Amino acid sequence: MKPQYLISIAILATFMAGCVSSSSTVQTTRGMKYESLYQENPRSIVIMPPINLTNHAEAKDYFYTTLYQPLCEKGYYVFPPALTLEVFQQEGAYDSEEFIEGDLGKFAEVMGCDAAMFTRISQWDKAALNGTITAEVEYTLRSTHTGNTLFQRSGTMILDLNDDDDDPDSSLADAIAGMIVSAIATAGTDKIEAGRKCTRIAIDDLPYGYYSPLYLKDKQDIAADSVFTKIKPS
Amino acid sequence: MTRRAIIWLSLAALAVCMLSSCSSQSLYTWYGYDDAFYDNMKKQSKKSSEKLTDTYRLLIDDQKGTRRAVPPGIYAEYAYVLYKGGKTEEAIEMFRKEAEIYPESAKFIERIIQNIEK
Repeated sequence: MKPQYLISIAILATFMAGCVSSSSTVQTTRGMKYESLYQENPRSIVIMPPINLTNHAEAKDYFYTTLYQPLCEKGYYVFPPALTLEVFQQEGAYDSEEFIEGDLGKFAEVMGCDAAMFTRISQWDKAALNGTITAEVEYTLRSTHTGNTLFQRSGTMILDLNDDDDDPDSSLADAIAGMIVSAIATAGTDKIEAGRKCTRIAIDDLPYGYYSPLYLKDKQDIAADSVFTKIKPS
Repeated sequence: MTRRAIIWLSLAALAVCMLSSCSSQSLYTWYGYDDAFYDNMKKQSKKSSEKLTDTYRLLIDDQKGTRRAVPPGIYAEYAYVLYKGGKTEEAIEMFRKEAEIYPESAKFIERIIQNIEK
């Protein structure tokens, strides 16, 4: 085969590998999976204070900060997060447990938002000796008009900060040195990193909003799994 | 098909790929907003809140994202800082800007302005 052919085949192969996600399971489109979202086409989202199921009290406010930017980049109008949080605290709406399954009509009436993003944090951990940071969160977008669940995903993000150069010839001293390095790396990495990555992956499958050039153009895209676990070296 | 045609087609495919799903162009320029917001949530200090306010100003003044628009909520966040700093007039002006460029916020913003003017 002539080299030019090889080059073009190589380029095409790169193209296919990089852009097409191959999956052997039955594929669902976003249009099918998030049918109620495409029926309502919410333009605006208010972020609810996260529901914190962990015993790390700080996770609630800290994790809250991960949601705004990815939702904006998806093309939604997102209510001002710092201001909204203060209003919710003053108005006694800081505990989203009371609303996640209840009537959201009041939010539409008072704020004019189309949808509310609820999150439940079930893990917010740092294991220095294992060299891992873990965030586990469930994301639920509900319509304030119909109460329907428009989007739901649940993710576990594990940041692996271990030095993965497992050399079989390395001595015990090297192994211990490696453990110390990864423990220090873990201690020096903020847990928010796992939270941010988890949110970014979860929101990635949310259909595009009104301000995105891809608004309503992603119905035929293949939907991602509702539950995911990602392990990432950071 | 000639060799040349195949090469051109491959390059075209690559270009399409880069222009569509493979590229991720931001709607907005963020200027480290995420870190500033998180840092202020964590520290709640004078320094961290000033840093966040500076970031709001950058987000308002210098947008290079594909939308060339101030991100949702930022005028209102900045307005709230102004209000807390006693600059009520300027605050109201900024709140109005939010509602003007994002009509989705109008109801919420109206309510806030009413509260301020009380």
